[in-house]
This record gives sequence, structure tokens and C-alpha cells, in this order.
Amino acid sequence: MIFAKGTILPDEQLPQVLGQLEEDLIAVRGQAPLFPRVVIDACQRLLERLDRGELDALIAQYATPQLLSALEQYRHLLRPESLEYKLSVETGGLLSVEDRPFGRTAAVPLGTLLHITAGNLDGLPAFSVVEGLLTGNVNLLKLPSGDSGLSVALLKLLTDTEPRLAPYVYIFSIPSSDRSSLQALADLADGIVTWGGDEAIRAMRAMAPAGCKLMEWGHRLSFAYLSGAGRGEDLEALAGHIIQTGGLLCSSCQVIYLDTADQDQARRFCQSFLPVLEGAAARFHQTPGQAAMATLHGYEHRLALAVEGSAAQVFQGRGCSVTLCPDQSLELSPLHGNVLVKCLPRHKLAAALFPQRGRLQTVGLICPPQQREELCRLLAQAGVTRITSAAHMSEPFLGECHDGEYPLRRYLRLVDVEASL
Amino acid sequence: MLERQRLFWSAHPYDLEGTGEKFLRAVRANCAFHLKRCPEYRSIAQALHFSPDQLQTMEDLAKIPVLPTLFYKRHALFSMPRSRMAMYVTSSGTSGKFSQIGFDWGCVFAEIPMVLHLGWTHGLISPKPAHCVILGYKPHKSNRTGVTRTMYGLTYFSPPISRTYALQYVDGGYVPDLDGVARALDKLGRSVFPTRIVGFPSYLWFGLKRMEELGLRVRLPRGSKILLAGGWKQHYSQQVEKSVLYDLAGRVLGIPEEEIHESFGAVEHPIFYNACKHHHFHIPIYARVIIRDVNTLEPLPMGRIGLVNLITPLMNATPTTSVMTDDLGYLTPGEECGCGISSPYLTLLGRVGLGDIQTCAAGASQILGKGEGF
Repeated sequence: MIFAKGTILPDEQLPQVLGQLEEDLIAVRGQAPLFPRVVIDACQRLLERLDRGELDALIAQYATPQLLSALEQYRHLLRPESLEYKLSVETGGLLSVEDRPFGRTAAVPLGTLLHITAGNLDGLPAFSVVEGLLTGNVNLLKLPSGDSGLSVALLKLLTDTEPRLAPYVYIFSIPSSDRSSLQALADLADGIVTWGGDEAIRAMRAMAPAGCKLMEWGHRLSFAYLSGAGRGEDLEALAGHIIQTGGLLCSSCQVIYLDTADQDQARRFCQSFLPVLEGAAARFHQTPGQAAMATLHGYEHRLALAVEGSAAQVFQGRGCSVTLCPDQSLELSPLHGNVLVKCLPRHKLAAALFPQRGRLQTVGLICPPQQREELCRLLAQAGVTRITSAAHMSEPFLGECHDGEYPLRRYLRLVDVEASL
Repeated sequence: MLERQRLFWSAHPYDLEGTGEKFLRAVRANCAFHLKRCPEYRSIAQALHFSPDQLQTMEDLAKIPVLPTLFYKRHALFSMPRSRMAMYVTSSGTSGKFSQIGFDWGCVFAEIPMVLHLGWTHGLISPKPAHCVILGYKPHKSNRTGVTRTMYGLTYFSPPISRTYALQYVDGGYVPDLDGVARALDKLGRSVFPTRIVGFPSYLWFGLKRMEELGLRVRLPRGSKILLAGGWKQHYSQQVEKSVLYDLAGRVLGIPEEEIHESFGAVEHPIFYNACKHHHFHIPIYARVIIRDVNTLEPLPMGRIGLVNLITPLMNATPTTSVMTDDLGYLTPGEECGCGISSPYLTLLGRVGLGDIQTCAAGASQILGKGEGF
């Protein structure tokens, strides 16, 4: 399946579309620029149709429970005021022409963005393209393998709603193994936006022409940091987060770090946290499959510890587990409601997080209010990019950066123009 | 090691009651063998306080250390050096992690009577030569997947005249050639010899759909059969109503439902499970199945849904005595089937969790055995 200039085409036409693409991209560069207003209005009209129930059939076709909750969580980000706010925060006012001592500076689209997207959230490929559209870029989207078709349906709706967007969206469902087609797309891009793990990022780095800009949204690790005993509601929120995200998100808590060096205190924490986690498991595991997944991964982890001769201690709960580890390194948890606990006094934060400094994302910080500033500073210096309450580790915030960067800023190029003499 | 051969050379492949003692003895010997030779297995047994002498009754089988298939994907466990193994195969994970399992010669020797007894019981063996169409991988020295081995083996139930493969090895990778298969079937329809189609159910489905699109209809000679095989996964990804698939096979190939035969196995548990005439997978004497509670892993009574734990003393090269798949399933008393086989049958309900789990936590995709899905 190919989507080009507002039309869905069969795969057989790939050679023709690729052969014609350079000419099409050059033609768009010669046209009047695409203003953010056009994209914002189109998104608004789409949201209105959604509210009127006109898209119910489409939703019914792709709706998984995961998608419906994601839609609920993210839909406010597509509202005009949200998109306008995102634009103003992320571009820092660069979209208007700025006067400079030598003349002026203008921001223009980078040109053509190739989006290599991951399948971890349905509809994410479409979101990546909307970011590219907001900055006026032409978007070449390579769908993740096993894509549900939702992104294509959404982008088709968007270009149907606003035909002026049609020349700016191309979608290809080519497999990653089709290196020659992927290379052809990379050769035409001014920037490559890669979502995915190390393998995808390395592959795209190798394919990017030397002058091509790389925007990489790689996989991340997140954790919770607990100083003091923590309030009951914060610990409950953390437990809910651990069970609900299953450790699978970039922002999911993998390790609960305790601001202490005392293993006995940590053991008491594990004993008291386990029932809280079990309560969350009982509440949020709705199918036997989810409970089975939690049990299976926790059990597998126990066997692995036995084989390694590890000194870690497992506190097994119903549909979850807590493992007290003797070390301090940030690592992936056994997932699915099985979480790690480690002692990490605050003065050792920088050293313990150093090996993962390029992969850090969210910290769910639980601490007494008077210590929050100091801990935020230490955590920020250690390399994290988001500090939230335990309840909001995986909540999107309006105007937040993405892994420490403003994506829209990166999708633009600045042009300095000297005033005429 | 004769305990294992005594079990596998027994005459009646579904006489569970009559072979209980043989099974226990073989399992005890098998556990002792792995404990002595596989240090990782020994560590696990110690952590779980298990020793083979605890196996006195059939109920005690639940005490054998259960290793999840997930575990084999992350740890290669062997109880003998590679040089003493007959074979070394992997599960068919195309991306991400896959299990590595060794097969010893005694295991291969024990599999022969198992396959022959079951093949005979289920009417798969025929002296009449047949052409074979394999909807799977063409064997190649770089391909170590267990399913390739199984499908190749299935072509020997009758003397094979020719073999046509749907997945051809070209320039270091496999490419599907469904059109080639469709053309071959068209030709085989005019042969005097029957055809045997061996393959993944999903490939059969796509192949038949493709033939229908091309307007190809074939009347394969009488005695032609379809043998569906595959790992666990292939049985319900691309899940198609069985009756729809059977209708299509009848329409496009002229093969009636009673000539369509299903089997399954897993690399970590290479027991030849066959569907009876009512399409139920009864447990043969070479294995026992325990269904375990999804929260506590305690054994559940017949009929209850839980995690599927498969036990067999078949393998010496890798400790796979008791493995747990990531499937949910349940057991039903054999008498309720009505096919005449008295052993209970296993119904698989699919993988645990919500279909395809995707993740963006660093390193998690490898753990989940999914590659990176890029």
C-alpha cells in the first residue's frame, strides 16, 4: 500500500511513485509555503467530525482498548489551542521573522522529512506526520511492520478534509528489509525522524546521506525516586502506574530507587509496597491473560536469578512481584508488574545513572516538599528529561519537550538575510 | 536411558493409564540426567528445592521445575556437548530472540516409534507414492528451525516423488513463491499420484485465496491429503475459522475435510500432537499436560483455564522435561470428544496478553522476543 498526493495506490506502483518523487518534491519547494494555520484548522475539523460521531465507524474498525485510552489521553493535544501553544513553545517565536542587527532571520521548513516510525502506539505514525506538517515539511512516512492501518486512515481523512495538505503526505508500507527503496527515500530527505530501538536507529544512521539531519526518538528508561517514607497515595499511584503500563513504555518505572544505603530499610519498603502493588494488580488486571503474563515474567526472572546465583531477593505477590537488588544500576525490570527496588543515596545518583545517561527519560519523584528542589537539580544533572509525580509518569503534558528536545524546532531551518545596502 | 525408550516404544499411543508407571520412571531418569549435567538446571532445582526422588505418583509431576519457553529464549541450556548431539535447532523467531534446543541421538531414536505409531493411528501412512507441496521453508544449511525439520519429516509418511516449496531460499533469505505453488498444484491435478500438502495453516489460507483470485481450480487425485503443521503460534495468528478453511480447500483443491489433518508441536516440546477426527488434540502417552493457575502457578483441575505446562522425558540434550508455554488453555476428559480416544484433550486459547505487545522501553523488545519491529 502506498499513499501519495491524497490517493491510495497498490504496492505495484512503488517504482513509479519513487521514480517521480524527486520531481514532485522539487515542485512543492517552488510553491507557496504551507502555513501552520491550514494544518491546525484541518485537525480541528477532524476533531469536530470525531465529536459528531462521524468517525465512529472508523474507530470501531481499529479500536483496541489500548487505542481508546490513548485517544482519550492524547486528543486534547490536537485541539487548535494545544497545537498553537505547542508551536509557540517549541519554535520560540521563530516562525515570525525576527529582526537582527544585520537584517532578519526567518525560519523555513527543513524540506522533506522521512519518518521511520515504531508500532508501540497505534496512530503514532500519524502524529509524527502532523508534527512535520505543522512545520510545513513534506512527509515521507514508512509504516512500522504490522501497522493496523489506523495511521493511513487518519492521514487520508486529514488530506480529504484539507486537500492542500495532499502534496505534503506520502506513506509507504515497505518492509525494513527492502533496503533499496528505503535508501531511495533517505536520499531524498533533508531530515530523518526515527522512532524505535537501537537497531532501527543504527540502520537509519547508516542510510542517511552526510548532509541529512537526524532526529532520533529512541527507546528510553524511566524510574521512580523515593526519598523518605512516601505518602500512601503516592505509593498507590506508583503501583497503579507500574501495573497499568506493564513497564512497556519509555516512561514506565523500571526501578524504584530509595534514597538510602540501608538494605534492611529497603527490605521493609519491599514488604510494605508489595500489598499496594497486589492491590493495583487486582484492580487493573482485567483478563486472566494479563495476570498470566505478570506471573510468567516474574517467575522467569526468579529462575534467571537462581541461575546467575544472584543475591537479589524476590517478594512474590499475586500477579506482581518486587525484587530487592544488591546493585544500583538502572536496568529493565522483568516487566508486566514485576518491578525492581534498589538503594541509591542521592549523592550516588550521577554515578549510578552515568552508564544510561543517553537513555534516561522520566523520574517519578516522591519526596518531602522541602527536598524537591535539590533532588530535581541532582536528577536533571544526572541526565533525566522529565520529573513528574508518581501518578503522572506516563501522562502527556501540554508543551512538554520530547526526550529533552523540542521536535518542531528541529524540523525547521533558519535563514539569515542581510538587509539590502 | 532405557526408561525413555520403553515409554516411546509402547504399543498404544493414547493409553495414558497403562503407561503411567513407565512415564514416571522415564521422567525421574530424565530429571536426574539433567541435574547431573546441566549446572543451570541444577541451580534452578536447588532454588525450588526439587530432587527426582520426590516423583512418586503422577501428581508429583507438578513438582518438576517448570521452565517457561521465555527462559530458553534468553538462556541456552545444554546437558551435553554439541559434538554429542544429533541436531541443534531453533524456534522460528524471525526477529528477536529464539530458543536454542539440542536433540540427542536417543531422542531421535525415541521419536521414530512415536511418529510411526501416531501416523498409523491417524491414517497418515500410505505405501502409495505422492508428490509433496510444502507450504513452508525449503531446508537449507543455514536454517535450523524445528518447523522446517518437522515439515520435511512429514513428507516421508508416503514415498515422496517430488517436493515443491513455498518458501525458497534465495540470496541469503527466504522469499515466498505462492504463485509457483499454485502452478505446481495445477500440474499435480493431472498426475496419477496423489499430492500431499504440508504446511502452516496461514500459508494454506493465503495460498488458497491466491489460487481463487487467479481463478485456479484443481481436482487433486483421490488419496491426496493436507497435513497442517506448525509451531504454536501459527495455529492462531491469522486465525481463520477452520470450517472456512476446509470449505476453501474443498472448493479449490478438491480435498475433502476428512483428508485434512492437523498436528502441532514446539521446539521446546517436540511431541507429535495430532487432531482426532473431531479436530481435538488428545494427549499421547509421551507427554502429560498440567494447566496452572495464572496467579499462583498451582495445578488446576480438569476444565479450568490456565497456563499450559507440557511434560515429557523425551530430550537429554536440553532440559525440557517440564516447559511452560505462553499460551492459555484447558483440558477436557477424552470421553467427551466421542472419537474413541480416551485420553484428555488440550484446547489452546491463544497467547497470553493482548496480541502483539509493543514497547518503547529500552531493551524490552528483545526480552519480549519481538525484535524491534521497525
